[in-house]
Amino acid sequence: MLDALHAVLVAPFRDMAGSPAFLVEVLIGGLFAGLMYSLVALGFVLIFKASGVFNFAQGVMVLFAALTLVGLLERGAPVLLALGLTTAVMVALAFAIERLVLRPLVNQEHIILFMATIGLNFFLEGFGEMLWGANVKKLDIGIPDRSFIVRGVQINELELTAAVTAAVLVAVLALFFQRTRIGRALRAVADDHEAALSLGIPLKTIWVVVWSVAGVVAIVAGLMWGAKSGVQFSLSLIALKALPVLILGGFESVAGAIVGGLIIGIGEKLGEVYWGPLVGGAIENWFAYVLALAFLLVRPQGLFGERIIERV
Amino acid sequence: MIYREAGQFKSSYAGDQAIFPVVQDRVFVAAAVAAAVVVPPLLASEYWLQAVLIPFLVYALAALGLNLLTGYAGQLSLGTGGFMAVGAYSAFKLATAFPRLNIIVVFLLAGVAAAAVGILFGLPSLRIKGFYLAVATLAAQFFLIWLFNKVAWFTNYASSGTITAPDRTLFGALITGPNSTPSARYLTALGLVAVFALAAKNLVRGRIGRSWMAIRDRDIAAEIIGVRPLRTKLLAFAISSYYCGVAGAGLVFLYLGSAETLAFDIGISFLVLFMVIIGGLGSILGSFLGAAFIVLVPIVLSNAPHAIGLRMPVALQKQFELMVFGGLIILFLIVEPRGLARLWQIAKEKLRLWPFPH
Amino acid sequence: MKGSAAAPPLLEVDRVSVRFGALIAVNRVSLSVARGEIVAIIGPNGAGKTTLLNAVSGFYRPYEGTIAFEGQDRTRLAPPDVAALGIARTFQNVALFKGMSVLDNIMTGRLLKMRGSFLLEALYWGPARRQELEHRAFVERIIDFLEIQAIRKTPAGRLPYGLQKRVELARALAAEPKLLLLDEPMAGMNVEEKEDMCRFILDVNQEFDTTIALIEHDMGVVMDVSDRVVVLDYGRKIADGPPAAVRKDAAVLDAYLGVAHDA
Repeated sequence: MLDALHAVLVAPFRDMAGSPAFLVEVLIGGLFAGLMYSLVALGFVLIFKASGVFNFAQGVMVLFAALTLVGLLERGAPVLLALGLTTAVMVALAFAIERLVLRPLVNQEHIILFMATIGLNFFLEGFGEMLWGANVKKLDIGIPDRSFIVRGVQINELELTAAVTAAVLVAVLALFFQRTRIGRALRAVADDHEAALSLGIPLKTIWVVVWSVAGVVAIVAGLMWGAKSGVQFSLSLIALKALPVLILGGFESVAGAIVGGLIIGIGEKLGEVYWGPLVGGAIENWFAYVLALAFLLVRPQGLFGERIIERV
Repeated sequence: MIYREAGQFKSSYAGDQAIFPVVQDRVFVAAAVAAAVVVPPLLASEYWLQAVLIPFLVYALAALGLNLLTGYAGQLSLGTGGFMAVGAYSAFKLATAFPRLNIIVVFLLAGVAAAAVGILFGLPSLRIKGFYLAVATLAAQFFLIWLFNKVAWFTNYASSGTITAPDRTLFGALITGPNSTPSARYLTALGLVAVFALAAKNLVRGRIGRSWMAIRDRDIAAEIIGVRPLRTKLLAFAISSYYCGVAGAGLVFLYLGSAETLAFDIGISFLVLFMVIIGGLGSILGSFLGAAFIVLVPIVLSNAPHAIGLRMPVALQKQFELMVFGGLIILFLIVEPRGLARLWQIAKEKLRLWPFPH
Repeated sequence: MKGSAAAPPLLEVDRVSVRFGALIAVNRVSLSVARGEIVAIIGPNGAGKTTLLNAVSGFYRPYEGTIAFEGQDRTRLAPPDVAALGIARTFQNVALFKGMSVLDNIMTGRLLKMRGSFLLEALYWGPARRQELEHRAFVERIIDFLEIQAIRKTPAGRLPYGLQKRVELARALAAEPKLLLLDEPMAGMNVEEKEDMCRFILDVNQEFDTTIALIEHDMGVVMDVSDRVVVLDYGRKIADGPPAAVRKDAAVLDAYLGVAHDA
């Protein structure tokens, strides 16, 4: 009994203190994974905020974007052109989704829209692989996958670039929401559909814009993850890992998605490396959920949520 | 006999409270059940029993379970596969540890284990609602599958990690295991499903069903008439998981024969959820219609290209199936978001007025 | 005969405050409801009427003060416990169970009176079946009383607003409450529907001997049905007395008309 307590409560921390460089590497690895979760969660939050749709297909959108990008690069398109074309494809996809899925289902219950996005999930998975093939592909965008060492800590150039890209993306999105008319309308629509309409922007446009933005976020996520581990079906599975991030950060908070993603990414890596071996490993699949749930017991409103007073 | 309820007056509340107040409905259901008992074992080929009818029954049972939780009590769950796995692995452990225990008793006890686990994972429902809860139920899905994968005790230390249904008899006939006939397994599944469907119908039309629906429709108003949210939701989780647990046991013992944890992964959770939505949330009949739809669509899809003389590479066909399946789901939700059961109801209303549509 | 002075009041609210952060929605309000009375709570929008009702129902915890029912302190009860004491209510914006039939909605009002195990109910056998039929008979009496026989099997969500309010009243009555709290029972109704509802409220009070506290904006209705009127303004009680007296009260006129008066 005492041994078990020691193994859970003392030994992992002693290991951490014993090899700080390794700890930092674990933290960086977690940070990178967390960034991925943040990006997927971010696309999700954007859509949920603006349209109340729980978009289960966000993960497949990442896969689809990455497949398109790789497909274009393989056919000899220059990087910038490929990025531009992929963006165009994601915007076209947003138009198609608005026209074919959302518009006919407007005013339906949320669970119905949720189910529709699961349908979309299947469709895009089949469609993407039909177009570009199902093999694992290496995504090469010209950033070398090599490491340099700072004070005994290994840092991967690719991961660093990806992290900077993600940070820039988040900053751009923040500016977009604060400074542009449509960005402000998007924020308004989250609170009140009528208010947004009174700004003179049709709901239809808002939906297309928000799905397009989520598509662009998906490209960045696909780019990062694809460059790191190749483009393959498992890419869409990271969407599931983004879900506990949403419990933690809240479905409607952009800041929650980002901070929540980092917490989950780091927590998960620490858990796997230091506590995982105690129970036979491979706990990454569920550890994030348990972490998020445990957090909710302490703070039911999530990271940035305000305590909700229910109107009766 | 023309479908009419005019002239069928109820002289007592008992008559009005019956499950099928219209005589023609009663006759129809009785005939359907009789046909289900007699016809398939005599006429259906082994393929039909094994690939269509048995999975249909097993999935219908799981869909019933999820429909009680999601359709009636309003608690969205994505952990169905996990609860089914609890049922399957409990049944396996019980059946192998107590070889003389009646196999039906094994199924029922496996359900109890699943119910207990369901209660545990239902606890967050006190604090979180809607999609938050749905995401939380994924914790059950991933954790349970991980547990059955990691702990070799659950598979009796089989090196392959598979559980295999042993040969067990009921009334002298072999109904599970590698040597049982599809007909015997079909009839067992049919019996289980019939009893469980009737029980579900009774539950949802009485005190418990009303307290579930009250929580689903307006939790605040439910509390003020004395419904205790946590107790009510946990009961829904328990009974729902019980059904899913028995369905999980059925999946291994009556349908697959042997299985790994892969059979209970997140895919099956979604599949059962589709059945419930496509069949109709909050409808017992819908659970059956949805299960039939989901079992039949892939069979039709995989045979359709052959039927029209197309030959596709296997990979392409797989992708095509995914696309059509996804597209069908969206189409279906657009056409009738309240599911097949609603379409059936509309058809019946038309029939009731026929031949005078107005 | 209205409640006598000797017996303790059915409901005794004593210096109750409810706060939301810095906002004090109800400020040291005291109020008592005697057995058999009909008390109306009135006041301008935002006066704290519904908040007070919610505190009594157990949705909000008072920040200070006590609430007693039948002489016992009941300040810190959850809504289901309040219901078990015999307090039923309706809501300002109708809180029916939209997916259920009218009959099932009203049957939910009987839930606290029903007992049983889920096993028996799954079999719909013996006591479970008997109980179901007994309560159905009781509910049918309420259906007759409120004249909603024709809509028994209609899903509640499809009814027009006025009828929904009536069904909500039926659901509350099905619980056979000792105290019935009605939050704007006549809001959004036309004159005819209001007259019906007034009649029902008076009938409920007399035939079922139910004590009633109601929030209402229509002064005509308030004067007609209530034995006593309590006036709230900005979370404070500013008047309490028979309708005729309250109507002439200077503070009340002030609160409602917002003008100085010199009489």
